[in-house]
Amino acid sequence: MKTRAGWALIRGLWLSWLQYRSFFFLLAFGWMIPPLIYLLVWSTAAGEGTIGGLSRGAFVAYYLVLILVNQVTYSQTNWTVGDLIRYGQMNRVLLRPLPPVYDALASEFAGKVVFLAFDLPVVALLALILRPELEWTWANGLAFLPALVLAWGLRFLWGYWLALLAFWATRADALLALQDALVFLLAGQVAPVALLPGFLQTLAKILPFRYMVAFPVEILTGQLDLAGMQTGFAFQAGWLSVAAGLYLLLWRAGLRRYTAVGG
Amino acid sequence: MRTFRLIGQFMRASFQEEAASRTNFFVNLLHSILNLGTGVLGVVVLFGQIDEVQGWNLASTLALLGVYLIVSALRGLFIGPGLDALAGMDGKIWSGTFDFTILRPLNTQFLVSVHKWRLFAILDLGLGLGVLGAAVARLGVSLSAGQVVAFLLALFAGVLTLYAILLAFAALVFWSPGVLFTWVFDAFFQMARYPVGMYPGWLRLVLTWVIPVGIITTVPAQALSGSLTPGMLFGGLGLAALLVVGASLLFRRGLRRYASASS
Repeated sequence: MKTRAGWALIRGLWLSWLQYRSFFFLLAFGWMIPPLIYLLVWSTAAGEGTIGGLSRGAFVAYYLVLILVNQVTYSQTNWTVGDLIRYGQMNRVLLRPLPPVYDALASEFAGKVVFLAFDLPVVALLALILRPELEWTWANGLAFLPALVLAWGLRFLWGYWLALLAFWATRADALLALQDALVFLLAGQVAPVALLPGFLQTLAKILPFRYMVAFPVEILTGQLDLAGMQTGFAFQAGWLSVAAGLYLLLWRAGLRRYTAVGG
Repeated sequence: MRTFRLIGQFMRASFQEEAASRTNFFVNLLHSILNLGTGVLGVVVLFGQIDEVQGWNLASTLALLGVYLIVSALRGLFIGPGLDALAGMDGKIWSGTFDFTILRPLNTQFLVSVHKWRLFAILDLGLGLGVLGAAVARLGVSLSAGQVVAFLLALFAGVLTLYAILLAFAALVFWSPGVLFTWVFDAFFQMARYPVGMYPGWLRLVLTWVIPVGIITTVPAQALSGSLTPGMLFGGLGLAALLVVGASLLFRRGLRRYASASS
């Protein structure tokens, strides 16, 4: 029953999203630019040589994969959850015989399809122009998939619990901007984590942000050995359970406070 | 005289609007600090790995970032808010409230360019000047009076160019309302964070001649590091003047197409 209702939600949202596709293509274009800038800057910097063991082609491959992973894991929904709570529109979602997190999940899936419909051709075109160098191994490819799913789950739930703070504070979405900035710095966008200076690199490996984007990219581009992958997965799973716990806690406590402003 | 009095009035009205919400002040402060932090760390991380790319080192790239922050702050201070209200999401042209703007007994282009101020951007301006000052101190050269004049002229040309491009992109909305042309420009404008020389040849041509965001930051930064030729400076000034004239003509032609909306 819940699966069928879930699919109906996804389908409905997907159809409505397609109506505004030029708007969403524009959003996807905007999100693609920052990693693209660093792709170009680092590959120019590498020139004919290597930086930290990465050649020009390796930088291109790393950042092209990162553009896709960043898009797949980015939860645009989290920005609207706070508005739903503030303006009282949560009422409508609460009346459905499904927990509201399903609503956010449905719009996640619907959105991914629209955004990727834009990103995949553009990244393919960029790959033709910029000639990435990627050593594909089946082991890395197989490890990449669970890392990607966990990364998406972590980034979604982490943003969702931050957004739920809107039950208590009016401008909780400022924290989402902080999350975006930390993801930019510590999740391999400004530079691959291995190239960050010592202190930032330690911070990146401990905090959850690397496991939202950079970790799967590093696996696929072959930057990690087996030990690195194992610790990575351990950290990723650990942070995911923390995020899930915080989500459950805040959802229950917040719902009791919710007074349906406006309606 | 009347012009300045009007601008003063616009500033006062905008300030009263802005000061109504104090939480917004802190949210804005957070965004400014994040913007500064990610920008500076991005440059520092890059030059932690290498000493020089295409003739740019840490100090001169930081100077360029300072110029970028100053120009963005000026845009946020008075050009951006007005043109966003005109052509941004749910803008006046889309909703038809532009009727009230053209009814006023004033030059329409003047009115839309300066009627809305965001005085908070003065803080951003200060941060940009701080980065620029620190970078010039790091450059370790004593600036001659000629260099300072060249820098100010180049900065002026940069701001004019930015204004012209923004006005032109906003004017395009008269032809297809609902398309967020200024967002497309925003994506390209981010590329001005780094010197155009760091991008591959084809993109450098686009950023110099098609959407000349490169001129906005690269030329003033070159004036400071002393690698600017007089030809580039006067070429930049000439191009800026041309662009302003062209954008004004485009805006006027667009204005004639405007046929109100929904009324």
